[in-house]
Amino acid sequence: MPENGRLPVRLKGVGDSLWVTIDPAVSAEELKTALKNPFEKLKKLAVNARVVIDPQNGGGRESEPLIEELGSYLKETFDVGEVRAATEKADPPEASAPQEIPADPLSDLRGDARIIAGRVRSGQKIHAENHLVILGDVNPGAEVIAGGDIIILGGLRGTAVAGQPDNEEAVIIALDFRPTQIQIGGLAAASDPNDAGRGKFPEFAKIDGTRIVILDYTKDNPFRRLAPPEKR
Amino acid sequence: MDGKVVVITSGKGGVGKTTVTASLGAALALQGKRVAVVDMDIGLRNLDVVMGLENRIIFNVVDVVQGKCKLKQALIKDRRINNLYLIPASQSDEKNVIQPENMKWLCKRLKKEFDFTLLDCPAGIEQGFKNSIEAADDAIVVCMPEISSVRDADRVIGLLYSRSIEPKLVVNRIVPKMVERGDMLSHQDVVDVLSIDLIGLVESDESVVVSTNTGLPIVMQKESKAGRAFNQIAMRMNGHPDLPVEDPMAPKSFWKKLGGRIGRKNRMQS
Repeated sequence: MPENGRLPVRLKGVGDSLWVTIDPAVSAEELKTALKNPFEKLKKLAVNARVVIDPQNGGGRESEPLIEELGSYLKETFDVGEVRAATEKADPPEASAPQEIPADPLSDLRGDARIIAGRVRSGQKIHAENHLVILGDVNPGAEVIAGGDIIILGGLRGTAVAGQPDNEEAVIIALDFRPTQIQIGGLAAASDPNDAGRGKFPEFAKIDGTRIVILDYTKDNPFRRLAPPEKR
Repeated sequence: MDGKVVVITSGKGGVGKTTVTASLGAALALQGKRVAVVDMDIGLRNLDVVMGLENRIIFNVVDVVQGKCKLKQALIKDRRINNLYLIPASQSDEKNVIQPENMKWLCKRLKKEFDFTLLDCPAGIEQGFKNSIEAADDAIVVCMPEISSVRDADRVIGLLYSRSIEPKLVVNRIVPKMVERGDMLSHQDVVDVLSIDLIGLVESDESVVVSTNTGLPIVMQKESKAGRAFNQIAMRMNGHPDLPVEDPMAPKSFWKKLGGRIGRKNRMQS
């Protein structure tokens, strides 16, 4: 029954629980019918959910039996987990403090990468400010360019340009490493047309002194010895 | 129900777009469909010659879109094959006399009349290509087992995908002996790079040159391997998408050899 234009029941998600604001002036039966519709819409989300019922009158003793009745109704009908009354001076849902995230010692080690899924075809160019991850193949005639590393979870047959303009620490990794040309920082290397037998296993390119070398990733993983984890 | 507009394209020139268009047009018409083939290579028309219809051209596709003639007047009927019609290109104009809107209009009308409208796309990715793909429902990308052809086909596939057209692949002019020697890419290599659905493998066949010069459709020559491959591609387009693609590299089976000995070479055709 709308009273003063307000619904007898309002539902809000607060933190990890559902905050149900009820109008204590309305009878329990009417509240149940009003609760039925929103909870049915929630379907499985309501199962085992925590429900807080807020009777809007400061949690006085007089509304306890009502809350208990509604609680048992919700548990039976919609399998909700725990039902309790809003405690204290009904702290309004809006004011509920954001949950504190437990401090993660590695949380500041955040890199920045552009992740692209799909095949990069001839004539297409993909740029990334920092690292670039391609979930797919890079075809001949395609170009992938990054400020940092280039990681290709697929075949590299086009041109890969990493570490632009002058990051000589950058690496290029591909699961099937058969590029037309690669560049890292200011150095470039072309593929050997006679070396057709390569590929089909993960390799990576890095700068060693003044030239680019290509190594078997499974044997010479450059990151294996990094402990503790470093930001890239 | 409206028919389909299929563009036949490749990016690179000289890989056999025109032959594929003419052959598939003829094959589909022989399978009982109403087919129109449109030469989109304005300025460098060829399809009419390949189909042996050059001496009957009065109006062309430019005349149609400019309203100089009716659509019916520009459609040249093939005398040997029922239900096969050609709209030739103009030899004297440039590609930009036709705009994409014109093609939308033209294809809409052709779709009402024909089950299949095949557009023979010019080489390149400029105006002629843009016109051709504007109104296409489907696309066939023709590619030769050759690195430059694969790269251009890849570019074209990227452009088709950006217009939400999922192309099918025809690998044309395979020379099995060269593939065996390792002097030519195998069709698996091509499919590996392009990664789109394969709709047909066509072996290199001398009779294609003969047919191009004489204007007699290759699909009507029962002895031709290429002709058979084109017939099968047409069947895949025409309601039999699951017909297996014959691998020209596969060793000939005992039964086929035996069939060849006792003179039943073309059982597949009947």
